[in-house]
Amino acid sequence: MDDLIATIKQVLAETDMVLGWTRSAAAGVAVPARFHTPREAEAAVFDSTCVHNLAVHLPRLKDRRVGIVAKGCDVKSIVQLIAEREIERDRVRVIGVRCPGMVDVKKAWRCFGFGKKVEDAGGQVAMEGKTVAREEILLAKCRGCRDAVPVIRDAAVGGVQGQSVAAAGELAGIRKRFASMSVDERRRFWRDQFSRCIRCYACREACPLCFCRDVCAMQTREPHWTGGGVDARQSEMAQLIRISHMAGRCTGCEECERACPVGIPLMLLLEEQNALIEELFGYRAGTDPEATPPLLTFDAGKDAGGGGL
Amino acid sequence: MRIGVFVCQCGTNIAATVATDRVVEAARAMLGVIHAESIQYTCSDPGQRAIIDAIQQKDLTRVVMAGCSPRMHETTFRRAVQRGGMNPFMLEMVNIREHCSWIHPDIDQGTLKAIDLVRKGVARVRRQAPLSGSTVPVTRAALVIGGGVAGIQAALDMADAGIPVTLVEKGPTIGGNMARLDKTFPTLDCSSCILTPRMVEVKNHDNIKLIVNAEVDQVRGHIGSFEVDIRRKATCVIEQKCTGCMICQEKCPSRAPDEFNAGMGESKAISIAFPQAVPLVAGLRKEHCRQFVKGRCGVCQKVCPADAIDYEQEDEIVSGAFGAVVVATGYDLYDWTGSYPTYGMGRYPDVITSMQYERLLSASGPTGGHVRRPSDGAEPQQVVFISCIGSRDESVGRPQCCSVGCMYTAKQAILTKEHIPDSQSYIFYIDIRAAGKGYDEFSRRAQTEFGALYIRGRVGKIYPRGGKLIVMGTDTLAGEQVEIEADLVVLATGLTAARGAGELARKLNISYDGYEFFTEGHPKLKPVETNTGGVFLAGACQGPKDIPATVAQASAAAAKVIGLLSRGELETSPVVAAVDRNRCVGCFKCRDVCPYGAVEQEQLPGGRAVAHVIDSLCQGCGLCNVACPPSTISLKGYTDNQLIAEVVEVLR
Repeated sequence: MDDLIATIKQVLAETDMVLGWTRSAAAGVAVPARFHTPREAEAAVFDSTCVHNLAVHLPRLKDRRVGIVAKGCDVKSIVQLIAEREIERDRVRVIGVRCPGMVDVKKAWRCFGFGKKVEDAGGQVAMEGKTVAREEILLAKCRGCRDAVPVIRDAAVGGVQGQSVAAAGELAGIRKRFASMSVDERRRFWRDQFSRCIRCYACREACPLCFCRDVCAMQTREPHWTGGGVDARQSEMAQLIRISHMAGRCTGCEECERACPVGIPLMLLLEEQNALIEELFGYRAGTDPEATPPLLTFDAGKDAGGGGL
Repeated sequence: MRIGVFVCQCGTNIAATVATDRVVEAARAMLGVIHAESIQYTCSDPGQRAIIDAIQQKDLTRVVMAGCSPRMHETTFRRAVQRGGMNPFMLEMVNIREHCSWIHPDIDQGTLKAIDLVRKGVARVRRQAPLSGSTVPVTRAALVIGGGVAGIQAALDMADAGIPVTLVEKGPTIGGNMARLDKTFPTLDCSSCILTPRMVEVKNHDNIKLIVNAEVDQVRGHIGSFEVDIRRKATCVIEQKCTGCMICQEKCPSRAPDEFNAGMGESKAISIAFPQAVPLVAGLRKEHCRQFVKGRCGVCQKVCPADAIDYEQEDEIVSGAFGAVVVATGYDLYDWTGSYPTYGMGRYPDVITSMQYERLLSASGPTGGHVRRPSDGAEPQQVVFISCIGSRDESVGRPQCCSVGCMYTAKQAILTKEHIPDSQSYIFYIDIRAAGKGYDEFSRRAQTEFGALYIRGRVGKIYPRGGKLIVMGTDTLAGEQVEIEADLVVLATGLTAARGAGELARKLNISYDGYEFFTEGHPKLKPVETNTGGVFLAGACQGPKDIPATVAQASAAAAKVIGLLSRGELETSPVVAAVDRNRCVGCFKCRDVCPYGAVEQEQLPGGRAVAHVIDSLCQGCGLCNVACPPSTISLKGYTDNQLIAEVVEVLR
């Protein structure tokens, strides 16, 4: 932790603030924090409960110089924001951290009870004497993680090789099961899921790449794509608007699903779409700072067979 | 809101499968509709009159016209409602012909669908706002790209009408492929005799500026106001000084392939393509020149009496402003050597292309017009012509007809007999296509008067044996194998788009097909237009065609340009994108996807940056609408709310 604090202090010398984590005494887990001074930075922590994607704050801080402690997957969001020119590379200092895989805090609380302090110990997570294998309570995205190594970084803590968890993605299995369902079954499934939506827009607010905020197409009445009601059809329309707007942009950080208070499995749709984009364009959002997002460009040459424009 | 609905019967085109009276009945019940009627032929004068009368008598403010595709008559009806006193954009066309009556055999279902479509149109027109375009000034000058017969014809027609024309040619001389032909079918007049005077006319015309050895580098702007950068490539010869005396060519020690003669014979590193070249100026090809390859020579510089050689010459960018562009980049011959392994792939010197044969026939060619075969210079007695090389051949990925091969092969068979009276020509063909005026008579004369033997079938293999070429083919009419001992084999190679056509199309924002031939605006009604306003097509760049068709199209393109440039200013389409500044989040995804560079950044007081559409550049394609996450940029007349209203009505 000393290494982390020292690095944050160094980065603070050339930035207005550093986004990182501190420990919440009440919840027993890490919570996001902004460090403005070396003294504040003393409270910085990094462990398996630093699940949050802090890149969500960057578009709102675009006129400041900001340092950010970031896991490999968080860095993908930063890369995508740079690719879309939402933030400037020069204004951001990325402190890459070695990520051990993040635990699903809800699962952890289920194992240990709410508010217990979570300790990292090798491959295990411990809470006041009880231990559990980290594998068992990892976030879905961390299983089969391909992006533990931050693709851009200005400083590194704990080595950046990261840890790729070998276990196949949980989601991959679910997607496979899904593919065998009929269209009607799938439609019923999603109607059921979206009927729970309370239109709180937490999914959108937690997403680093949803920067339209209060003019968001899933909420606005001008143009009137969907109503504001909470019946399944209107919620479904609203959610599908957001998901289609993520095509070729979603980095799979899972924050929308984690933020959802009613447990809608949004990643199921997003990962399906991400897989499609990768198949069609060979593009994974956030993995290459030099690449142009395929749906944000116009290549006349691509249309040669169909007649140019 | 006072909406009028007019349902066209289009004779029986619509009325046969759509009960138009029932559509009228249903329309009367739709929100805002105060007038509905069915008309037999709405596009006719009395039909349009009926719309105008209804607008004036019932004070209509919006009109739904249910009939044919808007591509057909939208402009017609916009003018009609305008004459009635309405804004022309308060009209909505509903297609109940191509989209309904023509594709549905059942009158009940056809009628129900027509009613749905009309309800959709009414919902949309309710959300329509009056639109008006702005005007942009027109630059009274035209650019012609390509100096073949098409470019020459278009340039001369426009220049004669008083329009300043810049003609850009990639090669060292104008004249194009036609200048390489010996005679032309079906009249057998001498190609250069009819073309050369036109080339000279271009050179001497007060209204034409000719730039050779040049290509279009960059195109900006739009109809009425294009800015074009033309790259004039360095030729190491100062054009203004060169007198065309050809002493440099005579003394040059570096041999180089003779491109004008299609590779038959040799030329020099510094040369003039042919004696009638326009301009008559030498050009140096560095890749073959000893001065550049070995670093020492300088012979041409020493012998040039006009001091016109400049080894240091660099590419030069010439910029110009034009109101319109005519593209006339012509064709290249299909390169057969890569795809016909059984014909030797170019290994046998006496298997040549039709253009190479053309040069052997020509008095200005490498053999002075005496037909001598390349291998030993002997006069061939048995000449085999093979049609459709790289045309009508799916196996090499070229399904299209070259449209000239049958005719020029007949011509070459006739000329062969004229040059060598005791020779015999054999022509392997698939079909004889001779649809033009006097063409069928001409190809029959090749057989009856000049004794050419036509064999219907393909040639399977060609191989050399004892100084001859054995041509093995099938006569599919007689149902037997044929074997001919030929002295010379001429391949009727097909026409491809000129090399680099696709790249030029992308610079000009015009469409092209999978073979890089440029796409006309409409196959019947807009044959010389493109989908980009102000850019017109002439000649084989649009598709293979012969000289008469090329010249006709070039004159048509010129007429279009003359019409366009006769106006001092142009009205722009009001159907352009517009940004709702209050809701723009400034992500500029619209700018990223815009193919026309029509979106710029606008700084609002207070520092917020939002997108702004430059009306005169916007083509109304709608890509920005799709890319905009909060849907704050939309196409006027096609707003999200209008489209949503349509969808809602259809799903009702």
